[in-house]
Amino acid sequence: MGARAGRAVAAVWLGVVVTLIYLPMLSVLLASLANTRYMRFPHRVWTLDAYREALFGVGQADTLRLHQTSLAIALAVVVLAVAIAVFGALAFARARWRGRGLFRTLVMLPIFFPQPVLGLALLLALTAAGITPDWRTAVFAHLVWIAPIVTLVISIRLYGYDAAQEEAAFDLGATRLQVFREVTLPALAPGIVSGALFGFLLSWSNLPLSVFTTGADTTLPEWLFSRTATNYSPLVPAVAVIATAASAVIVAAVAVIWRLAGPRRG
Amino acid sequence: MMRARGWLAALPMLTLLAAGFAAPIAIVAVTSLMPPRTFSLTGALALSNYLAAFTEGYWRPLMWSALGALATTAICLVLAWPTANALMRLGGRVATLVAILIALPIFISESVRLFGLSLFLMPGGGILAGTLNELFGIRIGSILNTRLAALIGLVYIHFPFVLFPLMLGLGLVPRDQVEAARDLGASGWQLFREIEAPLAAPGAAIGAMLCFVLALGANAEAAILGGRAVTVATQAIEQRFSYAQDWPQGAALTMLLVLITALVVIPLLRRVDLDRLIGR
Repeated sequence: MGARAGRAVAAVWLGVVVTLIYLPMLSVLLASLANTRYMRFPHRVWTLDAYREALFGVGQADTLRLHQTSLAIALAVVVLAVAIAVFGALAFARARWRGRGLFRTLVMLPIFFPQPVLGLALLLALTAAGITPDWRTAVFAHLVWIAPIVTLVISIRLYGYDAAQEEAAFDLGATRLQVFREVTLPALAPGIVSGALFGFLLSWSNLPLSVFTTGADTTLPEWLFSRTATNYSPLVPAVAVIATAASAVIVAAVAVIWRLAGPRRG
Repeated sequence: MMRARGWLAALPMLTLLAAGFAAPIAIVAVTSLMPPRTFSLTGALALSNYLAAFTEGYWRPLMWSALGALATTAICLVLAWPTANALMRLGGRVATLVAILIALPIFISESVRLFGLSLFLMPGGGILAGTLNELFGIRIGSILNTRLAALIGLVYIHFPFVLFPLMLGLGLVPRDQVEAARDLGASGWQLFREIEAPLAAPGAAIGAMLCFVLALGANAEAAILGGRAVTVATQAIEQRFSYAQDWPQGAALTMLLVLITALVVIPLLRRVDLDRLIGR
C-alpha cells in the first residue's frame, strides 16, 4: 500500500470515528429543538421554545439552582485539588525520597478504580459516620478522584522542568519560600492552569460520584440522568446543551485570560 | 533535606487518600462481615454475605458486569489500534486536531452523551429511525433497551481511555524501526506482531486495564441504554443499599468488585514504568 493511499484510508477511518463520536451529541442538540413531549424526528415544528422555557420560563428556577450547585462543587474541587496536587506533583515527579514508588502507586489507585464503587463506598462510610450527604460531601468525593488526576497533569509538566534553575536560585541566596514562589510556581503555572481546567470539567460533568454523595442536592448530570428515564420533554436536552455550553464558555474564558494576562515565558 | 521534603509534599495527598479512599473501603470491608440486614459495625464477624453473593443470584449482575467489561475492553482495543495508527500516519496539525476532537467528549457528562445515544437509537421517532424513514422510507427496529445497546454505550464512553494510553505506548515505537522493517519486506501483520505490539504493550496494557476497571463499575450505560434487559453489579449494590436496606450484603458485593479491581490493577501498576510512559 502506497503512502498516499495509506493516508487516505487513515483519513477516512478517522472521519468515521469522529462522526460516530459526535452523532449522539448532535442528537441531543436536535432533540432540544422540538416542542412535543414525544419525540417524532424530524420535528414538524423546529423551535427554540425549550431554551426559552429553561432560561426565562417555568424551568428557570431549576436551571439556575442546578448550575449553582454544579458550579459550587466544581470551584471548591478545583481550589482544593490544585492545592493538594501542586505538592503531590513535587512528591510524585521531583523529590527523590524513599516512599516515592509506593506514593505513585497510591496516587494512581483512585484513577484506576470504578467511580460508582467509590461513590457507594463513600456513601456507606458517610452513613456509618452519621454524616448527612449534601454538596459538600460531593466535593470530598470528587476530590478523591480529581486531586490524583490534577497531580498527574502537573507532574507531566514537572518532568520537562529543569531543576537546575532552583539550585541556581538557592546558590544566589534565595530562601526556600522565595525559590518556591519565584521559580518553582511560575514554572509550574501552565501545568496548574491545565490541571485546574481538567479538574473543573471533570467535576462539572461527573455523574457516578455525585449520584451517591450529593444527598438532597442535585447536580446537572444527576438531574439529566434522572430526567432521561422519567418525565422527558425537550427541556431536558435543552438544559443538557446549556450546561455543556456553560462549561465550554468558562473554559474558553479562562484560556483567553491566561493568554492575555499570564506570565510570558522567554 | 530532599527526603524530608518528599514526605512533606506527599502529606496532603496521603491524608486525602487515607480519609477518602482507604477508610471508606475499610468500613465497607467491616460492614460486609456483619450479619445480614444489620446496621451495626460491631457484630460477630460472618462470611454469610459472601456466600449469599453466590447462592442467592447476585452472581448474575457480577457476571454481566465482568463480561461487559471484558467485551468492552476487547472491542475498544480493536477499534483503538487502527485509530492510533491512523493518527500517527496522518501526523501534523490535522492529527492533533482529530485527537483533540476525540478527547473533548471526556469532558462532557456521561449523562449527556448516553442520553444522546438513546435519542439516536430510539425507535419510531428517534434521530436515526426518523431520519431513515423520512429520507428513504425505511422503517427500522431499535436495539434500545437491550444488552447490545448497553455494550455500545460502554464502548462509546470508554474508547478514549484505551486510545490515549495506547497512543502514548505507540509513541514509544521508533518510526525509523517501523520504516526499516517495512523496507526489509515485513508484512502488516509481522510489523504488528514483531515491532509495534511488544513496544506498545505498556500503553496498551494501561489502556486495557483502565477500560476494564471503569467498565466493571459502570452503571449509567445499563440504566440509560439497557432498560430492564440487564442489571449490572453496581445497580445490584445500590438496590441492596436503598430498597432492601441490607447494607452488609451490598458491602460484600462492593468488596467483590474492589477485589477484582485490585487483582487487575495492582500487579500492572507495579510493573509499568510511568516515568517512561508520561515523562519522556
